[in-house]
Amino acid sequence: MKFFSNFRGPRLGTKLALLGMALLIVPWFSYRQLVEMERLLIQGQSQAQLLTAEGISTLFNGRADLFNDLPIDLDDFEPLFAHPLSGPIRLDGNADDWDADLLDDYLSFGSDTGTADGDFKILLGERAGQLYAHLRIVDDNLVLRDPDYLRLDNADHIRLKFIKADAEDGRYTLVLQESSELSGFSMNEQWRYAETGAADNRVQGFVKQENGEVLIEFRFPLEPLGSRRYFGLSWFDVDDPVNREIVNSTQTLPKAGQSAFNLVVLRTPEVRNIIRGLGYSGARIMVIDDQRRVRAETGAIQVNQAPDSDPRIFQRIARTFESIRPWIHALVIGETYNELDYGDSEESEADRAISSSLSGAPIALRSRFGEKGEIILAAHPIVTEDEVIGTVVVEQNINDILAFQRTALEQVILLSVLSLFAVFIALLAFAGRLAWRIRGLRREASAAIDTYGRLRTNELTQEMYAGDEIGDLARSVSNMLSRLHRHNTFLESMPRTLRHEINNPLNTLSTSLQNLAQEYPDVAESKYLESAKRGVNRIGSIVQNLADAANLEDSLEAEELELIDLNELIDNYVANCKLVHKQRKFVYRGAGRPAFAMVSDFRIEQLLDKIIDNAIDFSRADSPIRVQLDVFGDQLQITVANRGPVLPSAVEKSVFDSMVSHRGQQNRLHFGLGLYVVRIIAEYHGGFVRALNLADGSGVAVMVQLPLALMDEEEDSGKPPIISERVSAG
Amino acid sequence: MAKTIAIVEDDPDQRSNYKDAITKKGYEVKAYGSREEALAGFDEQLPDLAILDIILGEEVDAGFQICRDLLARSPNLPVIFLTERIDEIDKISGLRLGAWDYLPKPISLDYLAERISSLLRINEARDQEPQSDNPSAKLIGDLSLDQEALLASWKGERIDLSGTEFRMLAKLVRMPGHAVSYETLMNATMQSLVTNNTINTHMRNIRKKFEKTDAEFSCIKSEYGYGYRWSQQ
Repeated sequence: MKFFSNFRGPRLGTKLALLGMALLIVPWFSYRQLVEMERLLIQGQSQAQLLTAEGISTLFNGRADLFNDLPIDLDDFEPLFAHPLSGPIRLDGNADDWDADLLDDYLSFGSDTGTADGDFKILLGERAGQLYAHLRIVDDNLVLRDPDYLRLDNADHIRLKFIKADAEDGRYTLVLQESSELSGFSMNEQWRYAETGAADNRVQGFVKQENGEVLIEFRFPLEPLGSRRYFGLSWFDVDDPVNREIVNSTQTLPKAGQSAFNLVVLRTPEVRNIIRGLGYSGARIMVIDDQRRVRAETGAIQVNQAPDSDPRIFQRIARTFESIRPWIHALVIGETYNELDYGDSEESEADRAISSSLSGAPIALRSRFGEKGEIILAAHPIVTEDEVIGTVVVEQNINDILAFQRTALEQVILLSVLSLFAVFIALLAFAGRLAWRIRGLRREASAAIDTYGRLRTNELTQEMYAGDEIGDLARSVSNMLSRLHRHNTFLESMPRTLRHEINNPLNTLSTSLQNLAQEYPDVAESKYLESAKRGVNRIGSIVQNLADAANLEDSLEAEELELIDLNELIDNYVANCKLVHKQRKFVYRGAGRPAFAMVSDFRIEQLLDKIIDNAIDFSRADSPIRVQLDVFGDQLQITVANRGPVLPSAVEKSVFDSMVSHRGQQNRLHFGLGLYVVRIIAEYHGGFVRALNLADGSGVAVMVQLPLALMDEEEDSGKPPIISERVSAG
Repeated sequence: MAKTIAIVEDDPDQRSNYKDAITKKGYEVKAYGSREEALAGFDEQLPDLAILDIILGEEVDAGFQICRDLLARSPNLPVIFLTERIDEIDKISGLRLGAWDYLPKPISLDYLAERISSLLRINEARDQEPQSDNPSAKLIGDLSLDQEALLASWKGERIDLSGTEFRMLAKLVRMPGHAVSYETLMNATMQSLVTNNTINTHMRNIRKKFEKTDAEFSCIKSEYGYGYRWSQQ
């Protein structure tokens, strides 16, 4: 309750600090902006990718033929996948220059165990228009070609069978011979003799034996295969070098009853040729047919390595930020922040994109890539005659955008915090300065009027030239003070003016009365003349007293101070009091030693007159008036105590004010100036006066405390005595 | 031949009261209401004594100006200021101008008449007698008081006292060594409204005048709460 009754509202500084909180809108707004920006950037990127996909798809629109080189249904064939090779292949029988990840992809043919005579494994690759093959053949007895025979089928050999671009059958035999090199011969229909005497050097190979395996590496131009690439490969094993009969053959061809060919599955070269030039940095472009087979692919998703080996302060802040981002997000946007949570869905994002695209709707999606990466996946359908025949998928890494966003976010946060701090400091400083100025003004303004309500100054000095509202306030208060001062001056000069104005008619009255008495001697005896004269005198003394009191401060200024022993002065004074007031008893107790002070003796006398007058008026006739002088420290204290009525507690403070009298109505000769004069004189001498009731309630003590003159003599060091006790005890 | 007294007072009632009272005492009185009137009158004939009000109409210093003018023409002319302006500064400037006395209003007409006659007598005495070795002088130690000429001197040096101050000093030295009460001193001023403060101020002025001549002077002692005492050194 007490708190609330005392609490009148926050201080200026608190208010400004609270207002400063409004600045929190800056980071809030920035974050919203940022999220929006991120959205826009990703949207823009999606649009761009979609446009790219659309552009590419336009190239294929209506080109159904490009996709028709594959049978609709692959199940009819045993496909031989020719993997794209990234590097050049040296024909040396070793597979170590093949891409390492392909080495698990050998296709096995022959018996189920794969270890029987004639079994082989094959790996196909494709590069620069050549089909490469690497075979690992199990052969317990290698029979090489005898150059004496013209026939090529009486040694271990490989037969290649395919359909040429002109739909003719093509036949090649690679026969093992003394040298490690293999060469291909175009064969007749019976696979016995070469059609031409010379080997076709477009077909070359190398053979070597290792670990009981025959390793054969050869290449074959894709060009004769046409676009369909029906292709088959068989291994013919001849074990007896004498009769040279084929004892075993293992082929890649399907089992009997099936079509005689395998299918070499390649990325569609033409499609690939078209898109090859389109690849742009950081994006992967894929052409997929309506069977969801990748028909061409170019480019790769760029993965930015984040070199976070030396975490600097900024990055540390960034990481901290990463951890609080969901919290900020929830606070600002009001939604839960999830950093791509697609993992749960059965269907991958890519599948969704392709499905959507194949059903005719272009789509752009964000998708996860690798550990931390994110990509945008744009898919646009390829159409011909209202039919979707495939789709172009453009994938691009958006880590750049995300990284940009993160950096921007960090900067926004950092700047916000810094500016918030700076503004906060500035606000605090401003508030402090403002409060300080106002306090200064308040101090000066309250010091302008003393405890008795008198004006000490007629203007303020602080803030008078400030241009702001405080300056206005100071000027207006100063203005008020000067107006009040004018009024006060008028009030102060009132008694003098009054005296001046009254004295003239009073003089007229007085002289007239005197003349009247002169002129009519019988009137002079009249009691009325006497009372008229008394009246004139009373008016005169009233006016005189008023003017004296009002002029007191001014006339005190003209007073010269002398070094006077107050002990002697008061002793003398009290002694004289006994002469003047014979019916009264006075008791003086001095300090017992000289008490020198810089005073005006007349004024001290006047002061004592007033106090003694007061004491006489208020004391019981039979009780003594005690006057006491004490010296302690650098102060002396004059105490005048009398027995009689006590001061009402309400007036203890006001008895020394001007025109305040607590004598009641019966005493008409007092104007409440006596104790006021005491106070003014005491203050003029650098002291003060107070009145208090004696401890036992038997009377009143008036105490005047004055500073002793600074003299180089030892002083009583001690506390001021408790006067009321002492006086009451005495 | 009756002495001529000039009265300059702007208030017609007071003027006529003064005039009547002083005329009755057997003086010839010329009363003026303003500075111009007075100066014009002085051009015709200089008075033997002038009683001046300081404020005449709107002119707050008119009395001082007339005084200056009069004393320029006749340096020994007694001038009494009679005014409601009783501030210390006015008193000092009036006396400094060479005025013989400075009486505050309201004034007792008897006292005024007495002042006039005594001043005239003093003026005459000063004119006739040589200043030193005055037979009417009363000697109290180093102090010599000439009641007739209102002249005081200390150790042979002339002390320039106003009429009131002279009377107060005379009262004080009547019984050297005895305290003289405020009341007695008040009577000596022959003014109707006198406070202790007035006495103190006068006493201080007297002291200062003596101290100017003799820095060691300390014959006037305060009897705080009672009055003053003249003590022989």
